[in-house]
Amino acid sequence: MAERRTLMDGIWRLLLLLWAVSIIFPVVWILYQSFRTNTAFFQDIWALPTSLNWDNYSKAWNDYNIGRSLVNTVYYVGVSLVLGTFLTTLNAYALTRMNFRGRKLIWALIMLSLFLPGINALVPQYILMKSLHLTNSLTGLIILDSFGENVFFLMLLGGFMSSLPRDLEESAFMDGASIFQTFWRIIVPLSTPGIVTVAIFKFLGLYNNFLGPFIYLGDPAKYTIGVNMYQANMKMQYTSDWVTMFAGVIIVMVPSILFYMMFQKRIMEGATMGAMKG
Amino acid sequence: MNAGINGNKAFVSKRQGFDKAKRQRTVFLFLAIAPSLIGYFLFTLYPNLMSVYYSLLNWDGLTDAVYIGFENYVNLVKDQFVWRAMYHNLLYMIVVPTLIVFISLLLAYLLNNKSYKENSLYKVIFFFTNVLSTVVIALLWSFIFDGSFGMLNGILELFGFNMNDFYWLGDTRTAFWALVLPMVWGGVGLYVVIFMNAISAIPKSIYEAAFLEGARPMAILFRITIPLIRNVIRVCIVFIILGSIKGFEIIMVLTNGGPEGSTDVIGLYMFNLAFGKEYHNYGYASAIGMFLFVVLVGAKLIIDKFFPEDSVEF
Repeated sequence: MAERRTLMDGIWRLLLLLWAVSIIFPVVWILYQSFRTNTAFFQDIWALPTSLNWDNYSKAWNDYNIGRSLVNTVYYVGVSLVLGTFLTTLNAYALTRMNFRGRKLIWALIMLSLFLPGINALVPQYILMKSLHLTNSLTGLIILDSFGENVFFLMLLGGFMSSLPRDLEESAFMDGASIFQTFWRIIVPLSTPGIVTVAIFKFLGLYNNFLGPFIYLGDPAKYTIGVNMYQANMKMQYTSDWVTMFAGVIIVMVPSILFYMMFQKRIMEGATMGAMKG
Repeated sequence: MNAGINGNKAFVSKRQGFDKAKRQRTVFLFLAIAPSLIGYFLFTLYPNLMSVYYSLLNWDGLTDAVYIGFENYVNLVKDQFVWRAMYHNLLYMIVVPTLIVFISLLLAYLLNNKSYKENSLYKVIFFFTNVLSTVVIALLWSFIFDGSFGMLNGILELFGFNMNDFYWLGDTRTAFWALVLPMVWGGVGLYVVIFMNAISAIPKSIYEAAFLEGARPMAILFRITIPLIRNVIRVCIVFIILGSIKGFEIIMVLTNGGPEGSTDVIGLYMFNLAFGKEYHNYGYASAIGMFLFVVLVGAKLIIDKFFPEDSVEF
């Protein structure tokens, strides 16, 4: 079907371009402003930097303690990611490919979580964490975020696992493999694409998690990078050190951008799947 | 004879093998199910149950909790801040989903049905906002809205409008509507991709038939595309509405409900009562949480009633 180019096409293309610019431009603007000085920035907010000046980055790194918060973030995101993904994989396997008494009941309980908005549970959850001495601790946050059920991940991974051939376990058993070996040597390798998708979404959720770290981490030395930037922004209202703030925001965005570039296709596929099931 | 004994032996060892496998299976099941399930009970179900009880307490977290029955709920009904926040929620609930769905439908339609050469790049760019954290989105927009050095005033100035350092988030007349922009901006990308997938599932032959009949592009959009993906649209609307009731992070970072409470929403009001800088009131915050729970379930039921699910067949 050959398309004719009309005046309308021009308008449509302009519209698409505008939306794309509204996304790209603020990021680019912050990026190039982050190489300028405050005085230059206050004089003209559009001018390009005269040289590639990395001072703001080292200042942001030191003043905002980004190094420290980055280490915290790596610890929190890394451990939660590995532990959480491992537990989800085990859980999805047992709940979709094994038959046992009470399985239906467990599924029903998990499905209940779809009706719980979670926001009303924030206070009791905080009190509980406090009484378990898990507040103001990154490890506490890891425990909170790694142990639990998530319908989206279970459906995603469970759906993937149930598409594997039915007699896999049986033939492994005939060959003398224990169920642990079967899981680890056969099921996990075959489910890798599904596990990776789950891990990608866990990563995004953990790295972008703000409310949890904000509620549970009181000590600035334990801030994750998101909370750190929030607090830095609160302070900036008094210091008006704009260019350093720009540099900080760019540093926070770099992992997101790299991650998006690496897994763009999978993220898009998984996101649409998740939305349709939620 | 020997063969018989050997066979028996083999049988016994095989029996033992089965028993061992069965034991292993039980251990495995326990290890696979228990950690997640216990975490779920502890960190999700138990707090949800407790929130009902907490809402009946007068408790600031420091002194002992006092059981006060339904007093928190009585106060809630009388609290004008709750109703103001609810009103704001209601406005966002109408404006944000409408804008997101309208914009993302249009963009998705254009990306799918027009073969401009830059389309595949646009899809990647549009989705980018969805991998950013709400804090980063909020910070980006705080740079846009700033009075003295913000991009928005800068752009307006380029077009000859001098805004005199007007701070968009600092004025009760504009702050509420200014916040709509980051909410829409941050949400559109995901729905563009969802709608694109839905639209591309419609068989090409339908479009071709319509084209041959001489239907105009806009008629095709409104008469064919939208009706055929209305179920997807419906799910998306539910999703955005529920998200807009629950979400308050962007507001928290940008205005924290101000100025003069003109951007306060119910989730943020509750959050500040429970975790804010001033005095804490866990009981009252929990009562508001319960109220929010009812609102969310109510919203879902209303949507289900007014936008029933139809089956669509191609």
